[in-house]
Order: sequence, then structure tokens, then C-alpha cells
Amino acid sequence: MFDINTTTGHWPFRSIPGQRIAELYEYMRGFEIDGAAITNTHGLFYMNAQDANIELAEAMKPYDGFFAGVASINPAYAAAERDLELCVQKLGFRAIRLTPLYHNYPLEQAGEVIRLSSELGIPVIIPNEIVNFRQKHWMEPPAPLGLDPVLQLCRTYPSANFIFTEGTAAHDGEYPSNLYFELSRLRSSYGGVLTELIRNVGADHVLFGTGAPFKSAESSLLKLHHCDITDEERQMVGGTAAKMLLHL
Amino acid sequence: MITRLPEELCCVDMHNHVDAGPDGKLDSAKAQALLDGTVRLGIMKIGISRPMSNETVKPDEFRHSNDLVIDAMAMSERFIGFCFVDPHFPEEAVAEIERCIVKHGMAGIKLYHQFFICDDAQKPLMDKAAELGVPILMHAGKCTDPATIAAQPRISHAGHFLEALAKFPDTILIQAHIGGGGDWEWNLRTLEGVTSNNYYIDISGSVIDQGIVRRTIEAVGVDRVLFATDMSLEEGVGKLLAADPTREEFMKICSGNWKRIVSRRRMR
Repeated sequence: MFDINTTTGHWPFRSIPGQRIAELYEYMRGFEIDGAAITNTHGLFYMNAQDANIELAEAMKPYDGFFAGVASINPAYAAAERDLELCVQKLGFRAIRLTPLYHNYPLEQAGEVIRLSSELGIPVIIPNEIVNFRQKHWMEPPAPLGLDPVLQLCRTYPSANFIFTEGTAAHDGEYPSNLYFELSRLRSSYGGVLTELIRNVGADHVLFGTGAPFKSAESSLLKLHHCDITDEERQMVGGTAAKMLLHL
Repeated sequence: MITRLPEELCCVDMHNHVDAGPDGKLDSAKAQALLDGTVRLGIMKIGISRPMSNETVKPDEFRHSNDLVIDAMAMSERFIGFCFVDPHFPEEAVAEIERCIVKHGMAGIKLYHQFFICDDAQKPLMDKAAELGVPILMHAGKCTDPATIAAQPRISHAGHFLEALAKFPDTILIQAHIGGGGDWEWNLRTLEGVTSNNYYIDISGSVIDQGIVRRTIEAVGVDRVLFATDMSLEEGVGKLLAADPTREEFMKICSGNWKRIVSRRRMR
């Protein structure tokens, strides 16, 4: 099992159990999850997000490849592309995360960073929200990002791969082939939404993720367990697809 | 980790919904999907209602909503009906409660955000619920985002429930979805030390923040916590498992507390 959606670091608006990387590691292992993509929550708040990436690289070292680093990149800040190159080439990070509502820029401004990610062969993770918007602190963005701007990015940058986390897949038209969904907000047993999505976009385009430590992991595990797919597809969603995407 | 709740828990999801299809009749495919989905997770009984979020819901509209619930109850004995009414129409609402509870065997009343739970306009409904000995399940939340605040200006939070408990001391109140409506920590801090035997809270909603169910148990006591999903099935079961309940806590949350509510029904 590989979890595409985990974080470490302090969240300023609520006390979150298990936000230290050592606690998260133990938590993941308790569910027999044997790898996870991880971002540093501090990267949402530091003016210079690169410091959060350097902190993360240091924190990941004792865990012997368990964690795959996800760089927090702020395209609106100085040296974003240099930071991205350093994160991938020197720190070994496997993806970037863009959070335009926290870094306060329109997604169109991320063009150069997305192009560079594509050249470097790493996917771009875009969360719909960090915590549920209905319980937002007054300093947080007023609403979730939504899928539409991510669909637009997929069309504008067809050679880049995008992973949409913490959102639903509600969309009338066809899904772009460079769009991947993390499953923690998708329904499974009720109405078969997750099964239907997997049938629609393929098991290699839906990724197991929990949102830990913000969220408890059990419901994502239940979602994957109860969807009507083959064992091979379950393995793909449960980790193989994410590992392929991250070149692990 | 278990993947379905054990049968011995006789788990009741006491907050869920059915809906109308395009033809205005019960969407039986969706109702069947709910029956099938809950079976997978070990949920035996499902409390259903069909509330409407309009500012005012006319009697014909809420009667139609309740007819859908009655149809669903005929479809499966696993469905437990909740009667939705709008207190803007007290006489019609009380008559509809009588029809749904007494004639059609529904188990409780569902209110939405047409008024706060503590508003005087609720009194006729509260009195009727107390007379029948059935609970009122109230849509609730402490939402902090501008869109929800604008859309639901009269959504009840924990403070409204405490006021309602004092104002309507003979009525059983269930605060809906601790995980479905905003700042759950605020709600729990407000509820700390609640002692009323008429107060319950359900764990439903899509929010599965670490610790949400354990903190709920700590804040109000396990005897006041009810299992529910409000359509978020894996979230409901998942966050309950995440609380690592003792067997006694499991029993109370999944069915024991609900049975205690049902035992207070006066009209058989």
C-alpha cells in the first residue's frame, strides 16, 4: 500500500495528533501501509516555502525510503524554479504540491513551474482544500479550489501530470488523461462512485490516499476495500499507480 | 482492521436520507444503493428522512417528502422513518407528525434550518414530540465559511441546543452530524458538561478529522453519542473505528443509545 496524501508539520489552527513524522510513520505502519508521499505543512505558511522543503528532506532521512518527498512550491515567490530543480535533483523529491489559495496567486501563474515539473518527469499535486472549508479559520481561504481550474491546467499543459487530492471527481465531460484522483473524498459503498470512476479513468488513474494525519486513515482503507474491482485493480489503486507516477 | 461492523452491534445509522427521482416519486434505485452500501459495512438499520433546505417549505411539499419516506419504509424494514416538517406551518406540521409517527410508524422528527432549534416557533412541534415520546433530529453546525453562513443563516449550533434543552425540557433532541457542519471543536467545547438525558449528538458527516469521535465521547459522554453517516458511509464507520471504542462504547454508540431513545416512545 502506498499513500499519496500525507503531511507532516504543525498546523496552526487546530491541534492535530500525530503531526510529527515519527508518529506518522508509526501510524502508517499500523495499517500496513509501506510508503507515503509527504508534504511539509509549513510550506503553506512560510513566505519562503523552500525552507519547508529543506526541513522535510532532513526529517525524512531516518525512514529509509518510506517517504517520498513532495515539494511545496510557490510560483509567486522568488526562485521557485530553482527551488523545484534543487528539490528534485538534490533532495530526491518525487512531486510538487501547488496551493494557490494559500500562496495567493492565480493558477495560471504556475505555468513555468508546471512546465519544469513536466520536464523533470514529476507530477503536480493540487489539493482541493487542506481542511474542510466549512470549519475554516478566518485566516484560511474562503472556499475550496474546485476541480474546474485543475481540468483547465490539464488541458493547457498536456505533457504534465496532475493529481487532485481532497476533492470529488464530479464532472460532466471526459476526464483528461493527465489527471489523477486521490480517493479519500470519494464515496465507495454507497452508489459505487469510486468503482465508476475507476471504470471511467482506469485503475492507474485513481490513487489511494488518506489525508493523514489531518484525517484518520480507516475510511480510505474501507473505500478501497469495498469498491467492486478486481484484485489487480485494487493493487493498482492501492499503490502501484502512485509508485509508477512517482518513479519509485 | 475490520472492514464491516460486527452483527452483534446491531448497528443503526440513525441519520440518512432518501430522495425523489426525476418523476417526483421515491428514487428507489438510490434507496436500494443505500441498503446495499450499508450492508457491506455492517449497518443493520437506517434512519431516513427527506428534509428540504428552502427558507419555507409548504405543507404539501413536506407531506410529499414524507410520502417518499413512507414508500421507502415499505420497500425495506431496515428503513426507520423520520418525519420532516416546517414550523412555519404549526397546525399542518403537528398534524403531519401525527400522521407519520402514529399512522405510519416513523421513529422521530427531522427539522432543518427553517428556524433555530431554540426558537419559540418550534414549541408546537417540541410539545408534540414530547407527547409522543419521539426525538427531534436537528440539522446542525457551526459553519465558518462565508458561503454556508449566507446559505444557512439559521443553522443551529451547540449553543442553540443548550438553550432549547432549557426551553423545551420534555423533548429529546439529537444534534446532527458533528462531522458535517463546521467547527466541531467549538460545538464540543460548548457542550462540555452537558447533563441532560434529553440530549444526543450523532457522529455523521464527511469530516473525519483525527480524534473527532473520541473528543465527542469525552465532551458529552458516551451515553449521548449516536452512530450515523448522513450518506458518508465509510467515513462514519472509519471515524468510529479510529476512536478505538471499547466493546461497551461500541454497543452504546451503534445501537444501545438509540434503543434507549426508542424505549421512551409513548405511542406504540
